[in-house]
Amino acid sequence: MPNPSWDEMAELALKRVAASGAEYGDIRLVRSTSQSVSGEDRRIASIRDVDDAGFGVRVLYHGGWGFAASSILSLEEVPRVAELAIDIARGSASLASEKVRLVDEPVHRDRVVTASRIDPFTVPLEQKTTLLREVMECLQRQSEVVRSSATLWARRDRKLFVSTEGTRLDFDLLAVQGEFTATARHDGRFASRSFATPHLRTGYELIEAANFLAETPRIASQAVEKVKAAPVRPGMYDLVLDPEHLSLTMHESCGHPSELDRALGYEANYAGTSFLTTEKRGIFRYGSPCVNLVADNTEAETLAATGYDDDGVACQKWDIVREGLFVDYCTNREVASKIGEARSKGSNRADSWGSVPIVRIANIGLEPGTDSLDDLLADVKRGIYIEGHGSYSIDQRRYNFQFGGDAFWLIENGKRTQMLRDVIYHGITPEFWNSCDGVADRGHRRRYGFITCGKGQPGQSGWMTHAASHARFRRVAVIKG
Amino acid sequence: MTSRDEFRFLADLVLKRSGADETIVTIQDQHGGTARFANNRIVQNVDTRRGMLTVSVAFDGCRGSASTTDFTAGSVQEALARAERIARVSPEDPEYLPAPDPQVFPTRQTSRPETAMAGPSRRLEYANEAIGQCRIENLQAAGIVSSSVASVGVAASNGLFAQEERSEARFSLTVQAEDATGWSAAAHRSIDHLKIQDRTLSAINKAKRGRDVQELSPGHYRVILEPAAVAGLWSWILWTLDAKSYEKGTSPFSGQLGRQIVDERLTLKNLPDHPDLLGTGFTQEGLSSEDAMWIEKGVLKQLAYDRFTAKKQGIKRIATLDAPCLSASGPTAFKTQELIKQCERAILVTNFWYIRTVNQTDLTLTGMTRDGTFLVEDGQIISAVRNFRFHESPLRVFKQVEAFTEAAEAVTSETGKVLVPAMVLRDFYFSSVTRF
Repeated sequence: MPNPSWDEMAELALKRVAASGAEYGDIRLVRSTSQSVSGEDRRIASIRDVDDAGFGVRVLYHGGWGFAASSILSLEEVPRVAELAIDIARGSASLASEKVRLVDEPVHRDRVVTASRIDPFTVPLEQKTTLLREVMECLQRQSEVVRSSATLWARRDRKLFVSTEGTRLDFDLLAVQGEFTATARHDGRFASRSFATPHLRTGYELIEAANFLAETPRIASQAVEKVKAAPVRPGMYDLVLDPEHLSLTMHESCGHPSELDRALGYEANYAGTSFLTTEKRGIFRYGSPCVNLVADNTEAETLAATGYDDDGVACQKWDIVREGLFVDYCTNREVASKIGEARSKGSNRADSWGSVPIVRIANIGLEPGTDSLDDLLADVKRGIYIEGHGSYSIDQRRYNFQFGGDAFWLIENGKRTQMLRDVIYHGITPEFWNSCDGVADRGHRRRYGFITCGKGQPGQSGWMTHAASHARFRRVAVIKG
Repeated sequence: MTSRDEFRFLADLVLKRSGADETIVTIQDQHGGTARFANNRIVQNVDTRRGMLTVSVAFDGCRGSASTTDFTAGSVQEALARAERIARVSPEDPEYLPAPDPQVFPTRQTSRPETAMAGPSRRLEYANEAIGQCRIENLQAAGIVSSSVASVGVAASNGLFAQEERSEARFSLTVQAEDATGWSAAAHRSIDHLKIQDRTLSAINKAKRGRDVQELSPGHYRVILEPAAVAGLWSWILWTLDAKSYEKGTSPFSGQLGRQIVDERLTLKNLPDHPDLLGTGFTQEGLSSEDAMWIEKGVLKQLAYDRFTAKKQGIKRIATLDAPCLSASGPTAFKTQELIKQCERAILVTNFWYIRTVNQTDLTLTGMTRDGTFLVEDGQIISAVRNFRFHESPLRVFKQVEAFTEAAEAVTSETGKVLVPAMVLRDFYFSSVTRF
């Protein structure tokens, strides 16, 4: 525990909550330490070290929610914030036409610690700045690369969650990521090519294993090749998508529609609702039989695998889409009962002590198939192979999407040939996933994560990992971006 | 919340103990809350106080920065020590510049007491007002009412000092009428200016009109963009005006400074004193926010300079863009309704959603229409239409402006607050249609 008085503060807050007559209350005390080292055009542009600490008290009073939070971690501030949360909950309850009911969860008392070999905060800063400068220098050594950027990021969250039900959870969580980008210019155009490690809950060994310097020549030369590549000719193409690219496609077109709060209208004013409405559960053909999308918040190193969510519910593994059929949602203790579930899936997370937890996409991944990447390519007469993330946009019910990518290659008669530029594909989510006819095997499986998934008002940034092997999609509409 | 004197005390605590060549202290201490509702009931009701103090130091051009949410003397000094440790092992930054010279910053009414005093009960009262109106119409309301006040300051070892309070209130509402939605939003320094009733009625009317929907084919259409839709596209113009990208040739505007980039009747200014904008007195870097001309009669006059690029280019005064106002000269319509009357056939767009760059070289964007898209024929709204995806560059379509209104308030979930006219654009490309 970073602060010996946290338990005392939790007890003080929850005593107030219990005395108010509230049916439920919890407190999260969090200290988040983050370090971001960013380089731009050969120079270290910023080194930021942030120590962000505070607590939030959540109260359910007569079916109405209240939440108050403060960055003042003192025994004087705790009662003020607890009383404010109670007052707010009373106000909500006075207008409650339908009372919130939480599904049951066993009481947990546990400690969760991220396993790591090298603590990123003990790695000398000079080592990080030297690496980033060498990476940028190497990228800009390639003629026609005119800009470069490189970043290393790490965060530690120490958290104590205590509820009026008796749950007490103590967390020491790490996350690490690194990336770099080269931008090339040619004939009045410019284009970027990037390399990124996934965001994972591990130590600095992730960065060491990524071997940035070995990757820089490839990224630099592909940036130049991309900017000089022929533009795509619009039409219908078979697509073979790499795991990094698929992580974003899955996130937007499967992850968000599977959030039950969206399906129930909670996000109607901002992030949107979902075409996966509750009557479709168990009967809707979301994808082809080879599409199995599994939520797994128990897989080590993944972002949502925190042991327990911010409802104090144990992390779980469950199916979202089984053999193409939509079967289940991501839920929390509030919304689970609305579809007749006796237990939450444990997918309720807040982005800081100052935010109230909301339903979040789980670590949803595409289950591996049986093919190799070569098998997937071999059966494509005219197609495009796409790597990495590019432009992305999707409607508020998650039907109509459009994606770009970071790098594109033409596939002709089963072989990757020349690079293309300006590739954009679009479609309607279930039509797209029903066009999937091949997924590569477990040996091709990679994990990529997001820490900037926007949702909620006030806005919050969600964290989750999406794993996939390469997958093939038939006859997808491609336009020139 | 941290007062001016308290910020000065905290800044002095750092500045007096710093061993660096230069030290800068910034603060953002915010207290506010949000009542959030959906399906005609409160689903979230929160209140948060978050303070963040950042210390930035430099030794011989080597920089370091550390932030803390703990304003006790020990923690603030620890933040200074962390910043110094970072700076001592950082490489020299060739773009390092000392803090701007001390100056007298403009004093603006950036905080309104009625907003600062508004608490959970006022937010709940407004939320209930919107919900109540929707219930009467048998419609579903989802939205937010928020209010906040922040103490913002910057102080440096060269004597630079600025601090001000900034308040902000927001309201946004999506009304659902079966499959149709209508939307309205507001943001203002004063919570008294949110106009809850008017905006709720506006969203209700949109939703009710959206019930009768038809699907049109994708293609090129004349469009009437309401202010929020105009703001959504213009935000991407504003966000890509940075001078460093311009200089490196990686900006869609490279080579366009001093040239016409949009219709010659359009002018973009920064107007921080405008009572309906969220202008500030100074930036986090300690630069003064002033009136500035960015685009004059369609000609690009200004770029968003970082201090290093400005110095390199000999720019004496860096223009800010905290209070953008886009106006059009010539005969204007009073309201969007008058633009509708002028159109033989057009698509009326309330708002865009999920706008992203498709091609950075020519600023081609994509996004969806949202919460009220209608077919206009012979000067009248004929029906709602299924939402379109667009594939367009604002740099192309804003050269084809046919008619416009006076600048009006526009707030969207993805952009800040701006003043922009509603506009009729002659040719706008919708590349696909969605299912609703």
